[in-house]
Amino acid sequence: MLNIEHLTKRYGEKTAVDDLSLHIAPGEIYGFIGHNGAGKTTTLKSVVGILQFNEGRITVNGRSIRDEPVRCKREMAYIPDNPDLYEFMSGIKYLNFIGDIYAIPADERQERIRKYADLFELTGDLAQPISAYSHGMKQKLAVIAAWMHAPKLIIMDEPFVGLDPKAAHLLKEMMREHCDRGGAIFFSTHVLEVAEKLCDKVAIIKQGKLIKAGTMEEVKGDDSLEEVFLELEAE
Amino acid sequence: MLGILIKKQLLEVFRSYFYDAKKNRMRSRWAIAGWFLFFFAVMVVFLGGMFTVLAMSFCGAMTPLGLGWLYFVLMVGIAIALGAFGSVFNTYAGLYLGKDNDLLLSLPIPVRTIIAARLVNVYLLGAMYSATVLIPTLIVYWVVAGVTAARVICGVLLFLVATVFVLLLSCVLGWVVAKISLRLKNKSFMTVLLSLAFIGAYYFFYFRANDLVRQIVRNAEIYGEKIKGAACWLFLFGRIGEGDWFAAALFTAVTAALCALVWFAMSRSFLKIATASGSTEKVRYSEKPVRERSLFGALLAKEFARFGSSANYMLNCGFGVLLLPIVGIMLLFKGREACELIGTLLASRPESAAVLLCGGLIMLASMNDMAAPSISLEGKSIWIPQSLPVEARQVLRAKTAVQLLLTALPMLFASGCAAAVIDASPAGKLLLLLTPVAYSFFSAHAGTAIGLRMPLLNWTNELAPIKQSGAVGIALLGGWAVSGVHIAVYMLIGYRIGAAGYMGVWTLLFVLGSFALRRWLDTKGAALFAEL
Repeated sequence: MLNIEHLTKRYGEKTAVDDLSLHIAPGEIYGFIGHNGAGKTTTLKSVVGILQFNEGRITVNGRSIRDEPVRCKREMAYIPDNPDLYEFMSGIKYLNFIGDIYAIPADERQERIRKYADLFELTGDLAQPISAYSHGMKQKLAVIAAWMHAPKLIIMDEPFVGLDPKAAHLLKEMMREHCDRGGAIFFSTHVLEVAEKLCDKVAIIKQGKLIKAGTMEEVKGDDSLEEVFLELEAE
Repeated sequence: MLGILIKKQLLEVFRSYFYDAKKNRMRSRWAIAGWFLFFFAVMVVFLGGMFTVLAMSFCGAMTPLGLGWLYFVLMVGIAIALGAFGSVFNTYAGLYLGKDNDLLLSLPIPVRTIIAARLVNVYLLGAMYSATVLIPTLIVYWVVAGVTAARVICGVLLFLVATVFVLLLSCVLGWVVAKISLRLKNKSFMTVLLSLAFIGAYYFFYFRANDLVRQIVRNAEIYGEKIKGAACWLFLFGRIGEGDWFAAALFTAVTAALCALVWFAMSRSFLKIATASGSTEKVRYSEKPVRERSLFGALLAKEFARFGSSANYMLNCGFGVLLLPIVGIMLLFKGREACELIGTLLASRPESAAVLLCGGLIMLASMNDMAAPSISLEGKSIWIPQSLPVEARQVLRAKTAVQLLLTALPMLFASGCAAAVIDASPAGKLLLLLTPVAYSFFSAHAGTAIGLRMPLLNWTNELAPIKQSGAVGIALLGGWAVSGVHIAVYMLIGYRIGAAGYMGVWTLLFVLGSFALRRWLDTKGAALFAEL
């Protein structure tokens, strides 16, 4: 579903991501972990076409994000680490804006909005301006916007930050369901327990370089993910 | 602490002078000096020069008659009006709506220090405008009447009293806007409505004041006596500039007392207003039929929603929307007379009325520059258009289209009115109709291109991209320059080919310029947007 080959991204003199390669197959929840400034967000932003990278190739279902960005983006959804949404819109207007961009038919759109807004208990607040939302409500809205166009690949940067325990649990269930239906998820997190329980595969990045990747068993063996991560970080 | 906060705010106001957003690094010392020199030139040479001429004409007529005090009353009145008008739209946002409110309030900084820093910022912006009148006023008086210690010290006190008075006026107005705004549902439109009412009243009194000032200057002695008798506080106020110690002490004390009063009121209400989420009733969501939009329709609707959501944006960048139809109607009533007058005055330059009208309409269209800050206003939400399956050129076209629609349509009405009243050939009438519309196309594309070249995405107050960014300054002043060049070239050589031919050339230039800019926006511009 997602192929990252030899990705390198530099900011001036600094190399943020250095020759990183990953493959995410349909049905996989792929966790991406690393300390602050390791290059996780840069990688995710390069995958969704927000950042232009220096070297390498990123393909979504065989299409290059560089050559066919719009077609790739049609199959993806992105949730950033900080949900800076259009504060001048109401929640429902934002969702309808996303619906228009992805050309979701009106009845289908309403059904999905109803379903996910009810799940996240946001229905009553949809007419409120986003500027009046709390961080968690914005995060829920970003999740609904991502799921409502039924993307094949979902990219998330720290998706659990700001969510209440119920919403976090719900999101984990939705992630599993999405992948069980043949979709794929690539997300970064600092919550190693979540990554350990939820992910099929995990990649650890340090100073822009991939230092370990594979199935959860391959990466952690008999230890906990936290132990492995701290050990690799110390090296 | 106060110093640090003031420095932070001033850095934000003049951020583009220090920081090159395109290269993501600080500017060189020479570049910083260059930008400040440019700012200095605009403020001192352009505005200061204009008021120096005015001060010289007033002072020369009044001071020898012993009416120096009246000179100061008139000039300081202008300074206060200019200062208050210059900062009136920023005060509410500047005082209460900083995006760093939560951050600052969470830090171990006393609330009064935050208020003081914000007040200093408002004071400096107001004083900056007032100073362009006050400094020439004082210098001209010292030159004409002679320099004494009393005049210099009292002159400095007059400067302080006037500028602090501007601050107090701005604070009171900011507080009123805050109070109203917290209770309104359609805040931005109501704020625009109230502001327009204020502007209307301002211009009504301004034009009335112009007549009054002319009459006062003509009959200075008679009016001087009348004012002295009926409004002796005005007389006393004017006496400060002449070096009257008693007047200076009295007004300094009154201003200080008013200052304390405003400070007291603000310290009590600041926290409540700055952290208020509004007391309007919560709107419950009820499902309604969805209207599907095309991709471009969705982008365009989003841009219109952004424009309509901010009173600051509408007032600072969309004034032409209102002015163009008003001028159109005025032309229908007074246009023919004005054209005849221009024809008589500029008999050596045939058909100059058409070109002057065209230039005037171009200048009015320049008051619409909503495309220039549009990219900067994406701010931290820039990830949305960048990650959605839309081409960058479509995003840019939507931004351009907002200005195009909001300028070309009112312009069509205004230039239609102008064409209806002008005494010209059918070709001349047609081109008077088309040239300003063609300019609307050009300015919309140019505004987007300038905004793209000078993005300012990391702002904490939307006034930074709307009012203080280089892109808006260039778009506005550039439009005025086009208007000036359009008229000047006709007066120098253009009249030789006739008004119709001349406007035809400009129409062609605008159309070609629009196409060139559109092509650039679709290709290199789109690539630039993707890299922001």
